[in-house]
Amino acid sequence: MRHDPDLAINTPVRITVMQGQVCVGDGTPQILTTVLGSCIACCLYDPLARIGGMNHFLLAEPHPGSGTVADANYGVYLMELLINQMMTRGGLKSRIKAHIYGGANMHTGMTRIGDANARFAINFLAAERIPLIREDTGGHRARRVDFDPLRGRARSRIVEQVAAPSVGQTSMPRAAVGDVELF
Amino acid sequence: MSENIHVLTVDDSASMRALLRAALSSRGYNVSQAEDGVAALEWLAQNGGGVDVILTDINMPRMDGFGLIEALRGQSRFRDCPILVLSTESSDDKKARARSAGATGWIVKPFDAEKLDLALRRVTH
Repeated sequence: MRHDPDLAINTPVRITVMQGQVCVGDGTPQILTTVLGSCIACCLYDPLARIGGMNHFLLAEPHPGSGTVADANYGVYLMELLINQMMTRGGLKSRIKAHIYGGANMHTGMTRIGDANARFAINFLAAERIPLIREDTGGHRARRVDFDPLRGRARSRIVEQVAAPSVGQTSMPRAAVGDVELF
Repeated sequence: MSENIHVLTVDDSASMRALLRAALSSRGYNVSQAEDGVAALEWLAQNGGGVDVILTDINMPRMDGFGLIEALRGQSRFRDCPILVLSTESSDDKKARARSAGATGWIVKPFDAEKLDLALRRVTH
């Protein structure tokens, strides 16, 4: 394996970001890591505050005729969670830059759900005016992504298909969706 | 019915504003939008207040949802206007702060269009 000195300084703690999770660096040396098949990982970084974070999702296909490329309501929620957690730690949305990884179409002949998820992420970033500075998506092979949230540096490598977890679409937490509390 | 109910949605996310406009317009609401608390106050001043209910996010630049609620409750014409929070947050302390600022209720994102519709109709009738 190639040695990357920037990723080895101070022996960073490795944190695995699973599907449906959001993780923002806490200011100590860390590596946020994940393995992606059709899923998308979006890595956001504020270079002035030196705060970065990653989410990991696979959105469901939209209802026919909805005009969207994926379950946009849940996708927007997962992106907003990541942005809000970065803002809580001192990040500023107007300074954030983005990388996206994953979105492979793992099984030929099936719906290109990886492409749809990548398109959702690209469309979201464009609508929110968040610059996309690096993208490694598509194809039909799994990737491992390591993201350094202190430096905003990421490494994306193709891995053996067996390394990619077999996952369903990221399910919305139905019990809590849209709960209403009137005061 | 939701026809003629005028909602002002306040959210800094253009994607969320688009989702809310689609969900509410298709149910007959008249929808106006602002991108943060400052823009909402400006819109309300320019349009003579004319909304039936305000739906606001909490985490926004310039003026957040708490600031917006406090500013509105400080104006006599908005003292009785329903203000619902729509947020990814759901902690008890944030809800208590919103309640003390004068919010009418709290809705957790991701929103469910049916539940949102019911809540809006309930607070406007």
